[in-house]
Amino acid sequence: MFEVRTWRGRALLQVVTTILVIPFLFPLVVMVKGAFAGQGLENFRAVLAVPGFARFFANSVLIAVVVIALVYVVTMMAAFGFAKLHIRFREVYFWLLLICLTLPEVVLLAPLFATDLRLGLYDTYWAVVLPLAALQVPFAVLLTRTFINGLPDELFEAARVDGANSLRGFIHLVIPLTRPIAAAVVIFTLVAAWNDYLMPLVFLQSVDLQTITLVPQYFVGEFSNDQTKILASAVITAIPEVVAYLSLQRLFERGLSAGAIK
Amino acid sequence: MTASVQQQRNDGRPGSPVQTRTQGGRRRRRPVRPPGLPWILPALVLTVGLIYYAVGYTGYISTLDWDGVSPDPRSVGGNNYSRIFADPVFWAAVRHTVVFYVATFVIQTALGLAFASLLHARLRLATLYKVIVFIPVVLAPAIMAPVFRHMFAPDGELNWVLDHVGLGSLAQPWIGQTSTALPVIMFITIWEWTGVTFVLYYAAMTQIDPSVLEAARMDGAGNLRSLVSIIWPEMRGTTVALAILGAIGALKTFDVPYLVTIGGPNYATEFLGTYIYRQTIPLNHVGYGAALSIILLVMALIMALILQFAGREPAGPRSRRRRKARD
Repeated sequence: MFEVRTWRGRALLQVVTTILVIPFLFPLVVMVKGAFAGQGLENFRAVLAVPGFARFFANSVLIAVVVIALVYVVTMMAAFGFAKLHIRFREVYFWLLLICLTLPEVVLLAPLFATDLRLGLYDTYWAVVLPLAALQVPFAVLLTRTFINGLPDELFEAARVDGANSLRGFIHLVIPLTRPIAAAVVIFTLVAAWNDYLMPLVFLQSVDLQTITLVPQYFVGEFSNDQTKILASAVITAIPEVVAYLSLQRLFERGLSAGAIK
Repeated sequence: MTASVQQQRNDGRPGSPVQTRTQGGRRRRRPVRPPGLPWILPALVLTVGLIYYAVGYTGYISTLDWDGVSPDPRSVGGNNYSRIFADPVFWAAVRHTVVFYVATFVIQTALGLAFASLLHARLRLATLYKVIVFIPVVLAPAIMAPVFRHMFAPDGELNWVLDHVGLGSLAQPWIGQTSTALPVIMFITIWEWTGVTFVLYYAAMTQIDPSVLEAARMDGAGNLRSLVSIIWPEMRGTTVALAILGAIGALKTFDVPYLVTIGGPNYATEFLGTYIYRQTIPLNHVGYGAALSIILLVMALIMALILQFAGREPAGPRSRRRRKARD
């Protein structure tokens, strides 16, 4: 794309890029260095020794898995319906969904709080899972529908001629053929569910149910103000995310920037 | 968002080229499709059901003077709304959102474009640079918040570095004073999201026809000239999509200011998200918070519409080329 022919030019670009990257690296260095400050590894041992620390991870995993499953099933079905089946006023329904893309989640606080209290959902996983899934669906449907639109109609018509109903077409054509886009949907749903802070903050009161995004706050209480322990807990909670990203780099980059891919 | 809209428009509505298959012929050739409503129903129930219910409920609450628990809240009509328009904190939050959006969008676009171009120039260690810029996208802001509080503290690493490179006079309590608190929030956001901008521009650049660039080079255009005159206009669709995402993201801002500066000092980093939270949960002004929510929602919708229309490219060969290049 760009041609830099001279040795000098190349070296210059290398230096410029390195300087531009430093601000991105700096907070990560601060995090790791701070976590090892003072007692070194002992900080990590102290954090891991706190009873119930694993609980935060288990809760985050559970919530993420349920949200992903819910979003996946609902999205694949809806995208199939929108793209390949007959629906009157199809675009009206589609726009009803799309408008939800602009919704800031903080708008949901008061009504969901009141409703959860009335239905007994407050302080249960459902109070977090349902809104998180609902917020991810519009975008997932938008992406998947565009993808399924690209699959040839003849494929589905041939299946129909052979006597397959919509359900079989869905299971034998849509599910296997949408794998590439499903990977993107799973990744951005995973990151959204795993990183969400507001929903667990408001709707999960018991420590038993809380997620890893609430860990720093919990540790501010646990270790009063021992910064090194708090940073150690940040490192520990960040590790799974960094490992997941490094091992699935391309999938993560594609999935998370799918946001703007048309 | 743009693409799907364009695609639907070509889906066989009157006026679009697809329609040249005459109305009758189309029906005959394509067998009647089976009904799809049951298939979209779960999505509609979950999303449209939950969200529209919540928004409707918020609309109702916004006409009440309610603390969130009392059984018989008092109806106050549009009173909450008129109070909002006279509320200096609300206007400060709007101002912060605008400044924040413009600054983060411009800087992120510049940085994303710079990284994408630089890494297209076949540098060494390209993967390492990419990983460093993208890792922040994956990390939860809630987990990074204590790190940033630490880093920007008066005795934190930033001031330490400034001291050691001879810029000690610049050292200051970054989070603790109104003049620098908002820039700190912007820095964190840019740190977090540049990876996405960069990856998107990088991908968009690979889709540009190399022969066009080659021709430009023959005509004597340098790298910078190609970037400005060919690459940048070709990536308009990506830029518009990022502008929409950024605007909605700015209106949604909550985690970072809430956790790093708690909206302070003296409301200097108050955003609509943090203000709604403050009113609704700690202060129990649920009615007022709901009215703020409705205003926020209207602003988000208007922004999305404005950018969608302002960013629409003139129909023509370019959009066709882009669609072809998509896969």
